[in-house]
Amino acid sequence: MKISKQQSGDIGVIIIEEKEANLSNSDEFKELILEEITSGTRKLIISFKQVEYLDSSFLGALVAILKALLPYNGKLILTDMNDDIVNLFQLTRLDKIFILHNDLENAVKEF
Amino acid sequence: MSKTILMVDDDIVQLELFKKLLTSNGYICKVALSVDIAESILKHEIPDLIISDYQMPVKDGFDFRRILLQNDLLKQVPFLFLTSVNDNNFVQQGLDLKAIDYISKGTPAKQILSKIDNLMRSVRQHYEKSLSEIKGIAEKLNLRNTPSATPVLKNFSVSFFNTSYQDHPGGDFIDFIQVNERFTFIILGDVMGKKWGAWFFSFSFLSYIRSAIRLCVYDGNFSLSEIMAKLNRVIHFDELLGDIFSTLSIVLIDDDTQKINYAGAGDLPLLKYEKGKADLQSYQSEGILLGFLAESNFNETEIELGSNDELYLISDGMIDFETAGVKRSDINIFKSKLHQLKESGKSADDINYILFNKNTTQVDDCSIITIKKIKNEDK
Repeated sequence: MKISKQQSGDIGVIIIEEKEANLSNSDEFKELILEEITSGTRKLIISFKQVEYLDSSFLGALVAILKALLPYNGKLILTDMNDDIVNLFQLTRLDKIFILHNDLENAVKEF
Repeated sequence: MSKTILMVDDDIVQLELFKKLLTSNGYICKVALSVDIAESILKHEIPDLIISDYQMPVKDGFDFRRILLQNDLLKQVPFLFLTSVNDNNFVQQGLDLKAIDYISKGTPAKQILSKIDNLMRSVRQHYEKSLSEIKGIAEKLNLRNTPSATPVLKNFSVSFFNTSYQDHPGGDFIDFIQVNERFTFIILGDVMGKKWGAWFFSFSFLSYIRSAIRLCVYDGNFSLSEIMAKLNRVIHFDELLGDIFSTLSIVLIDDDTQKINYAGAGDLPLLKYEKGKADLQSYQSEGILLGFLAESNFNETEIELGSNDELYLISDGMIDFETAGVKRSDINIFKSKLHQLKESGKSADDINYILFNKNTTQVDDCSIITIKKIKNEDK
C-alpha cells in the first residue's frame, strides 16, 4: 500500500497515496499503523486527500486503529476526506467516534 | 474481469512483445525489467499470474521465485518460467521451485497464448471447485447467515434480497426471529470487511444477537434499546471480536398492535416508501458500531406504516456505485433510484432484477429487507 509518513513534533502524519482504500489494502494499512502505535506514537493524523473511495473493510481497519489507541489515551484525527466519505461517516455515526478535519494544518493545531 | 499478468525480464524487447501479445488478447500486463522492480510492483498489486525469465543480472529468476515462496500471499500466485535455455537442469530447477511450467522463448505466439489461457482456465476451475466444496460443507453444517424462509404475518409481508460480492460468502447477515404469533424481530447486520473473513465472523455476531434477544424476551423484555445495550457490552468484551466490527439494524414487529420499533448500531438509515411522497423518508438511529465502547446508548424509534407503505433495511453495499471506473458511496442516488422504481409500479422482483442485474457493477455485499404493511382487502 502506498503511504507516506511525516513527523510533526510528536505527531505522526500518515498520507494515504491511493485512490481507493479498500479490502486489498486495509489489513496492510492496519498493521502498519498498529506498528506505529506499538513503537510509541500516540498522536496520529491520517490524510485522505488522494482517496476517492473508501469501503467498509477500510472503515473497519480505521475503527480497529482508534480502538487500539484508546488504552494509551492516544488521539487520531482524519483529514481531507471528500464529501462522499464524510457523508458515509455521518450516515453510520462514525463521525461521533472519530475527529474529522478539513485539512492537515488545522488538524495539527488540534493537538 | 480482465486478468493481470506480471512479466519479468531484463530484455525490454521481449517484454514489449509479450505485453503487446497479452494486452491485445484481453489481459492486463505489468512489466518489470528486474526482480527489484517486480518486488516493488508486488507491494501494491497481486497479479493473477507471474511469468519470469531465468537469467537476469543481480537477482535471477530462481532468486525471485525463492523470494515469492517466502511470502504467504505471493506464493499462491501461479508462476511460469520463461527461458531461452533448453537445458534440462534449468527446467528441473525451476519446477523444483514449484513453478507450474515453463515457456521457451522460441515458442510461437499462438502457442504461448494457448498455454496461458489454459493455465488461467485451469486455475479458475480449481478455485470454483474448492469454493463449491466449501459452500456445500457450509450448507450441510447449516452454516447460513441468511434465512431460508421469511416469516408469515397477519398484517405485514417481509421479503429480502441478498447477493454477495464476487460470489464469495460475505459479511452481510439476516435473521428473522418469530418469538410468537405476535412479535417478530427482523435483523440485518454487516460485518465490516468482505469475503471469507467477514463471513466467518458473521456467525459469532448472529449467535450473540439470537441469544441476547431470546434471553431478554424470556424475561418479558422487548425493549430494543436494552437488547442492543446488552448485546453491545457482551461483544465489547469478546476478545475474539476485539477488532472486528459490525453494524446492526433491529426491527420489532408487533403484529397485533401493528406497531414497528427500530434500533440500530452504526447502520444506514431505514428508508420508508409512501406512495405519492416526493422522496423516501429516512430514519437514522443514534447507536454507534457494536462493541466499540463498553457502554453505549441505543435509541428506539417507533415507525408508523400505512397500508401499502414499505420499510427498507439496507446494507452499505446498496449505496456503493461504480461509474466509468470511479467508485463512490451515495445514499441519495440509491434513494432516488428506488423511489423512481416504486413510483413506476415495478414489483419487488423487478426492482431487485434492475438493481442487481449482470450489467450493474457491484462493489460489496448487498442486502435489502422489505417490510410491507398489507392493505386490509389484500389479506
